[in-house]
Amino acid sequence: MGVLNALRRGLVRGADRMAEFTSKRGSRTHYKGRGAQPTGVLTSSRKFVPVQAMIPQFVVPNLEGFKLKPYVSYRTPAGTEPAVTPEGLFSETVAPQIQKDFEEGSFDKEQLEKYGFEPTQEGKLFKLYPKNFIR
Amino acid sequence: MRLTAILSMAAKAAFPKDYRYGTSRPWTIAAKRLNPPGKKRRKVFIEPIAYEDWSVFKGDTVEILSGKDKGKQGKVAQVFRHRNWVILDGLNTHFRYIGKTADYRGTYIASEAPLLIRDISLVDPTDRKPTEVEWRFTEEGEKVRVSLRTGRIVPKPVFQRRDGIVPQQWKDGPKDTSPEETLEKTYTPSLKTLEEEVMEKLGIEEPRRNRKTYWY
Repeated sequence: MGVLNALRRGLVRGADRMAEFTSKRGSRTHYKGRGAQPTGVLTSSRKFVPVQAMIPQFVVPNLEGFKLKPYVSYRTPAGTEPAVTPEGLFSETVAPQIQKDFEEGSFDKEQLEKYGFEPTQEGKLFKLYPKNFIR
Repeated sequence: MRLTAILSMAAKAAFPKDYRYGTSRPWTIAAKRLNPPGKKRRKVFIEPIAYEDWSVFKGDTVEILSGKDKGKQGKVAQVFRHRNWVILDGLNTHFRYIGKTADYRGTYIASEAPLLIRDISLVDPTDRKPTEVEWRFTEEGEKVRVSLRTGRIVPKPVFQRRDGIVPQQWKDGPKDTSPEETLEKTYTPSLKTLEEEVMEKLGIEEPRRNRKTYWY
């Protein structure tokens, strides 16, 4: 009949061998974590020393005068904004400055850093490639 | 983008090719009884109607052209596009008992049977007679249904939400952002990432850099 047909009729027996082996399976003494990041160091005397720098902190700016709330009213009309593309971002942030400098005559091909050009990502805290921040 | 495509594929391909659709939703016991795994039934042939040519919507007034309740007009309660079915309120009914237990014979109710789109015809709102309907564009560019006999527009029924909320009459609660605040444009494009902007605003200085790591 075929393996798939037999499966559909419920005639194939056995456990799912490809299922993920989580900490919920296995014996009582089987210890397995779920992938949480450690927030400290385990010393040789089996004492756990928390390291403040490894504990994630929420950095929240002051929300005074912030008008947005968790939910949106039903009266809002539906619609979308055009997506932010690299070309759009360039034309809004950098292109007017370059245009102005070009008309004045002070545009220099070698000095593109003043418009925000980054020749390498070395030395930066948040590198764009390879991306080293979660968001 | 690819992830959403994969998820939508998973949602659509949950039914086998010869799945027999009924009036019950697919996760109910009745639908599971109708489609046990490994069943092979005679195929149901349905007239292929394109998405753009579909003319009957929930809430429309239609007239039945053939069957037990021929000539009667009713409001559409449910539409099943996969079988070209329409269920009208209180018409084309048969009677059955529901809620039957061992000692109680059950409540005798009238339950509606579905009607094919072929046996249904939309009703012209002006003279309330059945007409053929075509999709045409108005001068503004709106797609509307036009009755072929009189030439009048058959308006689309107002969509009512299942939870009974009428968006225009909604009163904002304390956690609702008003429409004006939602549509306010406060984004100023800049080349900084969000993290860099927040650090600058809060005056956080981070002179330490990550150690260089290698992967092969």
